Amino acid sequence: MTEMADSLHTETTVDEMLVKSIIDIGIPPRPAILDVLAREVRTGEPDFKRITQHVSADVSLSAGLIKTANSPFFGFRVRAKTVAHALTMLGLEIATKALAGIALRNAFPVTPALERFWDSSACIAEFSGCLVEIVGGRQHVQADDAYTYGLFRDCGIPVLMRKFPHYKDVLARANREKHRRFTAVEEDDLPTNHAIVGCMLAQSWSLPEEICQAIRHHHDFTLMQTGGPTMPSASQRLIAIGQLAEHLHQMDTGMSYTQEWLKLGPASLGVLQLQDSDLDDLLGEIKLRSKERW
Amino acid sequence: MTTSGIDPLTGFLDRQGCLRNASRLVDHCRREERPLAVVWANLDRFKKINESLGLGGGDAVIAKISERIKTRLEHRAHLARMGRDEFVMMATGYGPDEAIGLANEVWQLVIMPLEVGSVTLHPSCSLGVAVLEYGENEESLLQSAERAMFEAKRQGGNRIVISGEELIPGRLGIKLAREELEVEHKLHAALEVGGLYLNYQPIIGFDGKVEAIEALMRCEYGGELVSPGQFIPVAEKTGLVIRLGEWSLMQAAMHAKRLRDQGVPTKVAVNVSRAQLTAPKFSQTLHAALLCSDVPPELIELEITESLFMDMSELVQSNMRTAIRCGVGLSIDDFGTGYSCLATLKDIPATKLKLDRAFVTPLPEDKRVYAVVKAITQLGRELGMTVVAEGVENEAQYAALESAGVDAIQGFVRARPMGSDDVTAWLHQHSLATVDG
Repeated sequence: MTEMADSLHTETTVDEMLVKSIIDIGIPPRPAILDVLAREVRTGEPDFKRITQHVSADVSLSAGLIKTANSPFFGFRVRAKTVAHALTMLGLEIATKALAGIALRNAFPVTPALERFWDSSACIAEFSGCLVEIVGGRQHVQADDAYTYGLFRDCGIPVLMRKFPHYKDVLARANREKHRRFTAVEEDDLPTNHAIVGCMLAQSWSLPEEICQAIRHHHDFTLMQTGGPTMPSASQRLIAIGQLAEHLHQMDTGMSYTQEWLKLGPASLGVLQLQDSDLDDLLGEIKLRSKERW
Repeated sequence: MTTSGIDPLTGFLDRQGCLRNASRLVDHCRREERPLAVVWANLDRFKKINESLGLGGGDAVIAKISERIKTRLEHRAHLARMGRDEFVMMATGYGPDEAIGLANEVWQLVIMPLEVGSVTLHPSCSLGVAVLEYGENEESLLQSAERAMFEAKRQGGNRIVISGEELIPGRLGIKLAREELEVEHKLHAALEVGGLYLNYQPIIGFDGKVEAIEALMRCEYGGELVSPGQFIPVAEKTGLVIRLGEWSLMQAAMHAKRLRDQGVPTKVAVNVSRAQLTAPKFSQTLHAALLCSDVPPELIELEITESLFMDMSELVQSNMRTAIRCGVGLSIDDFGTGYSCLATLKDIPATKLKLDRAFVTPLPEDKRVYAVVKAITQLGRELGMTVVAEGVENEAQYAALESAGVDAIQGFVRARPMGSDDVTAWLHQHSLATVDG
């Protein structure tokens, strides 16, 4: 967090509508399609035909999966045209994470503010995936994990919007905070924070532990500097990748709404063994890769 | 390195040559039923040597050390250079003891002072030892030796580690023994493909009303149940126990919400571990679970073992106060198994006391146990707690507990643990029966 939060707090007119529209749902339950995939994986001999039928029954899942398979960071030379094709190209493990990401967006109501929030998440997720390809060889992080982390990192925000109508003001304050943790500012006004809520959503959707822990600690600059027994090193690397992706995205768009790079940037660069002077080249490389693949 | 299989600097086999040779040796030893050992040596701080002496100096060091090894061991072991500063020695007919002897010899050869130009160096090295195991191939054998060498490095270098004795970092980076690694793998897989689930066992009052249902965690992997006795210690070691606890809390809360929405509002009790209760952000996590599940807090009860209630640390106490302030119930689990101090019962903010099965099994025959049960029950009730007996298996125990004044029971005599759909159906049926009755 979070550039994405900004897209929410600037949208004053739709916020009330948004709050009203999701007032009655709690955390979105784990989508049925993920249960179907898990069941197939458990059998040991997954039936791709059956999975294809289930995914195809939902137009937005189908479209989303094909779009994911064709997205730049996977870098497939061939373009997926059907669900079956996309499933084969991605493999079940990656397809499961991709479908979780698509289902996440579908689990919340469509409002202009949330659409911008998810677009921003998707963009940072793609940057994260690309970054892993460029610097990831020595980082033991998979591109699809970084991508999924990017999508889920701030998913606690829309959940908190539901209960707390003043949450947008809290976000605005947290975005301006230069010294304390973002989540500490949230906790001044709320009994919890978006990182913990997001982590619990990810846990109940059965995402890998490394991703859940990264979501939980993504504002914890002290833990990022020191590491520690409560945070797996893979989570530390995911946080660093996500933070760098957000910063590069802000450099690219020329818009910077948050103070997070000030707090987490140096530790993130340290974890990734990069220097400030590498950033321009990295951004150039990401943009070049995107251009080539599209 | 060249593709010919020989390293030009040392005359040893290079990596490719070593792999080809290892394959032959493994086949040979398997056929002849002879042991085969690998010693993997890596020079310590070689980067520093290179930095101070330059690449040429580094090469000189490698050449001198390899010459020593060659002179002493050429006729007993197959020698290879696997990387810039890494050597492998393979010896047929060598079991574990001889392999350690060989590693010791290599170490002695390496640590002898070395003159390079005008500089005297005191090199050291880290060594990993592995012996061919049943079913292993050359690749896994070499990997075992290399892993042991890495462990020697991790322990500070300049030492020998024998494969199988080293702890290996698990998926979350915590060091585990081999059998623990396997359980960790199962646990992660179960978490990710739905092999982890909750069963629910009803707690029923003597008037027939359901007092609560207790959520019990089950783990299934590859069609087999992994017992809590296996997975809980590994979960505790790796920190996964916090995720398991939070996941249970969330699932239990969501189930309580579903039951309420379906017209059978029932309290769901969920176990909370010491790790959870002493983890940072317990309060925020509990709030998040209540918020996310949208369940009224009075439908959630946290079961905490007796020993934790006796933990008077500020963190535990403050977290329990938070839970009470949230409106969830607190229950003392397994009461009577630890060092119960009746005097502290008055300070405990619990709403329920669960008598351990150790008090139930001897009933009704053991009159002394019966007297203890009766006394605890009276004390608990006077302190405003509901008293529940766990592990009730037969009608005689049931009758004795009723006569002792216990409020409710949990056990096979009335209901076994059930899956979430089954318990929902059971609750519907039971509520009808209770109303009819």
